[in-house]
Order: sequence, then C-alpha cells, then structure tokens
Amino acid sequence: MMIPAFLLLSCHPRVATMPDSCCPGHPVTAAPDEPAVASNSIYQLDGRWTDENNRLVALQSLKGRVQLVAMIYTYCGYTCPRIIADMKAIRNNLPAGVRDQVGCVLVTLDPERDTPAQLREFAREQGLDSHWELLRGSAAQVRELSMVLNIQYANAGNGNISHSAGITVLDREGRIVRSLQGTGVAGTEVVAEVGRIAVP
Amino acid sequence: MKPAIVILLSLPLMFNRAKPETALGDSGLAGMREIPAGRYRPFFRSVNESAIVKVKSFYMDVHAVTNAEFLQFVRANPQWARSKVARLFADENYLRQWAGDFEPGTQTPSNSPVTNVSWFAAAAYAKWKGKRLPTEAEWEYAAAAAPEGMQRNTRLTAIILGWYDHPTPTILPPVCSTYRNGFGLFDMHGLIWEWVADFNATVTRQDGQDGAAKRFSCAASSLGAADKEDYAAFMRYAFRGSLQASYTVASLGFRCARDNNH
Repeated sequence: MMIPAFLLLSCHPRVATMPDSCCPGHPVTAAPDEPAVASNSIYQLDGRWTDENNRLVALQSLKGRVQLVAMIYTYCGYTCPRIIADMKAIRNNLPAGVRDQVGCVLVTLDPERDTPAQLREFAREQGLDSHWELLRGSAAQVRELSMVLNIQYANAGNGNISHSAGITVLDREGRIVRSLQGTGVAGTEVVAEVGRIAVP
Repeated sequence: MKPAIVILLSLPLMFNRAKPETALGDSGLAGMREIPAGRYRPFFRSVNESAIVKVKSFYMDVHAVTNAEFLQFVRANPQWARSKVARLFADENYLRQWAGDFEPGTQTPSNSPVTNVSWFAAAAYAKWKGKRLPTEAEWEYAAAAAPEGMQRNTRLTAIILGWYDHPTPTILPPVCSTYRNGFGLFDMHGLIWEWVADFNATVTRQDGQDGAAKRFSCAASSLGAADKEDYAAFMRYAFRGSLQASYTVASLGFRCARDNNH
C-alpha cells in the first residue's frame, strides 16, 4: 500500500487564527482541548508515533520541556552512537536541578527494522533512562520531520542509511532554538545555552 | 510467410499499449500521463548504492501547477494564504509575487506556473488533490526523455544548459510553452525548477566537524558522481542540496505525481 504512505507526506495542521490573549494574531492549531501551538513550533506536525514501549504518542506530548532531538537508526555503526554520546554529554553537564527539565528524543530513520522491541533493546544497551523517548513513524512522517529539522537522508541499500548528523534543540514550545550540525558538538557554550532556556 | 503476417498484425496492438492517452477515464487522472517503468541513473550515489535505480510506473502531471490551480487550493484551505501560513511551513517570501491572499494579480498570469511556494505548501496541495510530489528518481527519470522531434545531433543537456544561462523572467511564460518530451510531459526543463518529495535525500553535508569524524565518516555517506560531464544534472542536485523545506524561490514550483497501481 504505497498510496497512503505518500499521502501522509504532507500532513499539516489545520491552522486558524484564535483570538487568544497569549499569542494575538498568531496562527495556532485549532484542535479543541489542546493548548495553542506557536506558528514556528514543530508540534504543529500532526500524526501519531510509536515509542519504544509500543505506546502511541503525538509530538505535542513533548511540549513543556526543552528537548534535544536527533534522527538516528540503531544499526548505524559509527555516526549515530556519537550523536547519542553528544546528547548524553549535553544533558549530563547540566546542573542537576536543570537536567530534569531537558528531555532527549531519538527518531529512527529506519522504521522498517527499528521496531518498538528493537528500540527498547537499543535503549537498554545505550543506558537511556526515562528522560529519553525513542520514536518510530511511517516513512512519510519520517521524511516530513526530516524536512522540519533540516536533516538529509537517503536509504543507500545494504542496510545503510546516509544521513547528515545533527541535534536540534527545541524550546518548551517546540520551536527550534539551535541546530547543532555534525558530531562533537557538546561544548560548554551549548550546554550553557540549553541550561538557559530550560529554566522556566 | 505466416510468421511475418502475425508480426504485422500485432504491430498496432503494441503501439496502442505504448501510447497511453491523457483522458484516462478516472477523472483524478485528468491532466496526467502514465509514465512506464524504467531505469534511472542517479547523478550522485553512495559507494554502496546501485548505479541504476529502477523506477516503477507512475502518473505525472502534464504541466506544472499554475497560479489559477494554486488559487483554488488556497481558497479551499485558507491556512495556506500568504498572510496566514505558519512560519514553520513557508518563509516570508511565500507567494510574494501575488497581489493579495486570494489575488494572483497582473504579474502572475493564471496559466503560468505558481512559484515562491515551499515544499510543505506543494506537498499539501498534492495531498489535497489526492496526489503526491514525485520522488527525485521519478522526476529525473521523467525529465530525461528527449523533446519530441529533437534533432539527432542535439543533446538534451545542451538545451538545459542554454536555459540555465538565462535569468528567470519577471513574468513567467505560461505552462506548456516550452517543449513536450517523449513521455508527453511539458516544460520538464526550460520553464521553472520543481520540488521533489525527497529533495533532501542527497546527503551533501559532512557527518562530522572534527578531523576524526571526517576520517571515519560512514562509507554510506561517501558520494560519487555518475557522469561528471553532466553539468546540468550537477546544477539540479546542487540546487536541491541548498534548499530547506520552508524556502520559497521565484523560479521554483512543482507538479504532482500519483502511484500507478495497475
């Protein structure tokens, strides 16, 4: 069934202007009973993802904390472990009180092989605690998220996925604060910046 | 004698099969052409990647989406109007050449291709039409067909490079104003650049910034060019590599595709 996958490619929110005192005149998602989402928030992407515990989650559920987001795949031999090491380093170097305000999100580029069970096993191997969320979506969802996060990737065959390396720092509203490109990016300046935006 | 007669009789049938018509019965396929399955040689490919990519049969719009067509979409989906669009999905130049939210104006003839649309807007339009954007492989394969009636000693690359040499006119010519190619598609080169679904599939950025990361970067990320002489293809890949999905460009529009499930 290729059609549904591709039709999902362009999921976009229904946006309407709400007379809301918090963000006057800004387009926000008009879903009832859901908090407003800023015009430049990635939480406007709708659709459900599956996490490592086989639960369905919306990106919106990440709202309220600063998030470090990366697109990886568990069979990646070199780059992805380094990206994860950077994320761990950024988080571990934050003051204890601030650390809990920062979550980490890994979205697989390989939804075919990275099943929830595989993601759970990977989280165990990597020692990722409950502050980490591992997500799996459809090929179309993954492509759309890569567009928002400005990550380049292609399936190169032979089980390899070529991809650019990067960590996206999201503020509590899901707005992109910083795109860290490459690996070895967990410098003191970055840690300080993440700490600054994480404190309410 | 007998085998020869059989072959002659079967010729018209073969032609029929090879020449699909635009009017395909299903109204959703009006204005589209069935592109037969084929092979495509990507300009860039990974070391581990096959040099030839198989492309399944699919449908492609005969021409790029026009201002009039896009206006219908914006009217039906006002969250995509110029003043309403979420900044995440389109930069500040989105539809800047239009006179207003629902008014293309005199600079943008209704039958000219719509440009200054982001990837998100193009993908949303395609979804609204029950279609999708073509993949890079599909687009490149469909665009590689030579113009109908092209002289034997002419190269398509030379025609394309001739177009790349010219600046984009302020008022874009109408669709179907350049050439029709062997698949029955108009203006695949010569009018505008076009979005593809996976324009970010060519990994141009280094995996690492430090020396060690460069030395050890995944083999899968190393790229090689199939034909270094194909400067026109290089230009397209370089252009795509410079884009982000919210970007809008005055010479960048799109057309839609659809799966062929027959």
